[in-house]
Amino acid sequence: MARFIVRRFLSLIPTLFIIITLSFIIIRVAPGGPFSSEKNIPEAIMNNILKKYHMDEPFLQQYLRYMGDVLHGDLGPSYRYVDHDVNFLISHALPVSMLLGTISMLVAVILGILVGIVSSLRQNSWVDYTAMSVAVIGISIPLFVIGPVIMWFFAMRLQWLPTSGWIDSRRGWVTIIMPVITLSFTYFAYIARLSRASILEVLRSDYIRTARAKGLKQSTVVVKHVLKGALLPVVSYLGPAFAGILTGSVVVEQVFLVPGVGRIFIQAALNRDYTLIMGEVIVYSLILVVLNFAVDIIYGFLDPRISYK
Amino acid sequence: MTLFRKNAEALPAVNEFNQAVKPVSLWADAWRRLRKNLMALAGLFIVIFYTLISVAAPLLPLFPYEEQVLDHQNLPPSTKPAGEVLLHQKQEYMKKVLAADSRTEMTDDEKAQMASLEAEIKSNPIHQRHYYFGTDSLGRDMLARIIYGGRISILIGIVGTITSVLLGVILGAIAGYAGGGIDNFIMRFVDIMYGLPYMLLVIIMMALFGRNIINLFVAIALVSWLTIARVVRGQIISLKNSEFIEAARSMGAGSGRIIFRHLIPNSLGVLIVYSTLLFPSFIMSESFLSFLGLGVSAPLASWGSLVSDGVKTMEQYPWQLLVPAVVMTVFLFAINFLGDGLRDALDPQSKNRV
Repeated sequence: MARFIVRRFLSLIPTLFIIITLSFIIIRVAPGGPFSSEKNIPEAIMNNILKKYHMDEPFLQQYLRYMGDVLHGDLGPSYRYVDHDVNFLISHALPVSMLLGTISMLVAVILGILVGIVSSLRQNSWVDYTAMSVAVIGISIPLFVIGPVIMWFFAMRLQWLPTSGWIDSRRGWVTIIMPVITLSFTYFAYIARLSRASILEVLRSDYIRTARAKGLKQSTVVVKHVLKGALLPVVSYLGPAFAGILTGSVVVEQVFLVPGVGRIFIQAALNRDYTLIMGEVIVYSLILVVLNFAVDIIYGFLDPRISYK
Repeated sequence: MTLFRKNAEALPAVNEFNQAVKPVSLWADAWRRLRKNLMALAGLFIVIFYTLISVAAPLLPLFPYEEQVLDHQNLPPSTKPAGEVLLHQKQEYMKKVLAADSRTEMTDDEKAQMASLEAEIKSNPIHQRHYYFGTDSLGRDMLARIIYGGRISILIGIVGTITSVLLGVILGAIAGYAGGGIDNFIMRFVDIMYGLPYMLLVIIMMALFGRNIINLFVAIALVSWLTIARVVRGQIISLKNSEFIEAARSMGAGSGRIIFRHLIPNSLGVLIVYSTLLFPSFIMSESFLSFLGLGVSAPLASWGSLVSDGVKTMEQYPWQLLVPAVVMTVFLFAINFLGDGLRDALDPQSKNRV
């Protein structure tokens, strides 16, 4: 097991390396540059600008220089926000996105599993039907439709919640409600359906009948015997769910004006702010890769049938 | 005597009581099961309806989707002609003005305004237009925009699905059949691609390489074949050592023939199930990008860009958000139910039904 963890951990390094290199190439190959929208700059000044950011060097040298900086934890200066470097911009936006993402993930997982348990234990009851209809809605409707529609309904029609913004001293935590609902709804729906289906399957298995025959209480059977086996598919779904929440937060931050990394990301890409895009890609990939690693490890602990070779 | 007759006369199939039985193909069987599933059937009809409308869009009596009628900005959905809606809006407005000033009579100036509006509406045939889904902020007909937007969304869904299925099938089949180093190479590549935050890379590509349909399409198709490749490879590995493949090989069939005539047709059921999952995911990805302003650009529309336009004006003109949102949602619902139905019909033993 320990060897597996170490090996799996070491395999993260080439993955990250490939992601960074690939993004670097894509970004540099694309036509235009961060300064191509500046109007009528004399050639000498343009050359000075390029020189300042080392963009006059050959491609390979730029790449090596950048990789060296990244290894030292420096993501470089932003090409567009002149007074800020990328580390500053990202370190201010990242906690916001992390908070939003973590809460959404927790809501999706906890609520999803709870709803899955209830509707599988009360299969074909009205609870089951309602829950599964809601889940179908969550799976079918993309979050960029859910977000604006609930914003229109709850913030504009009913005026119950503020339309947008982020946690501050005046409004407190209410601003986080709609972004979290929007971001977690799809994954809540998937997890509810997944856990319902797999609990139903486990409930029919022999060892559950044995547990019941021993005279165990319903709650003990469910918590100690059913869930342990039934939650494996949910755990393996966590990886894709993390990825989805990561990309979903780009939209949610855009819709609800949340000052997170997702909102900088689109603007950076449109501005061709090379270092800022790269910084965002690195942060996103790091989160994704590490979370996937964690999921693999959890999976290994939960499922003793998996062998690590 | 020939061992293998080329045109063997079909012997009538009989059961153990010597009664003739009709052979049931996979498809007939699947269709029988699908027919029993009402939700899936409803989904199928809705999908067919949307597709027909999209295909026939140029023949339908629609106003041009890019035509801006500046007199008709932000008209609400109505079954009445635009002129009447305009007049009604003006009358309501005048009532409010009168109430605010606590008058009962309009001034001569205002009366003249009303009269000229009425005359304009009567004289200009453009005011006879009906906007059943309202108009947007530039006076373009929402109905036409939604239908033409649907055309783009559905087209990207179809073309994208076909390309990624082709890519996935070819690479997956090669990897599964060849095994060894080739298999290792292709699957490593797939694994790495899986680890990428690909939607972010797509966003970067769209932002940097310019926003047009071709780029959009290439960017999404590049990454969506991965799952298909994995599935096909698994199917082929499980099939390639079966007796009928051995039989084919013993009769001298080459690798190409075995892959394309025997292995792939036998994986079709699973392939179709995965394609029905890919199709909506393409539509979602496209709309996702268009929503962020990185997809199709105006005057072209797609469902995502319509929703995104609607968001900007939803406070005053909520139909500009709600109508495209509902139209898109109905379609995605339908596709989902159809996909679930197809999965149950084609793969009745499916264990990992979600």
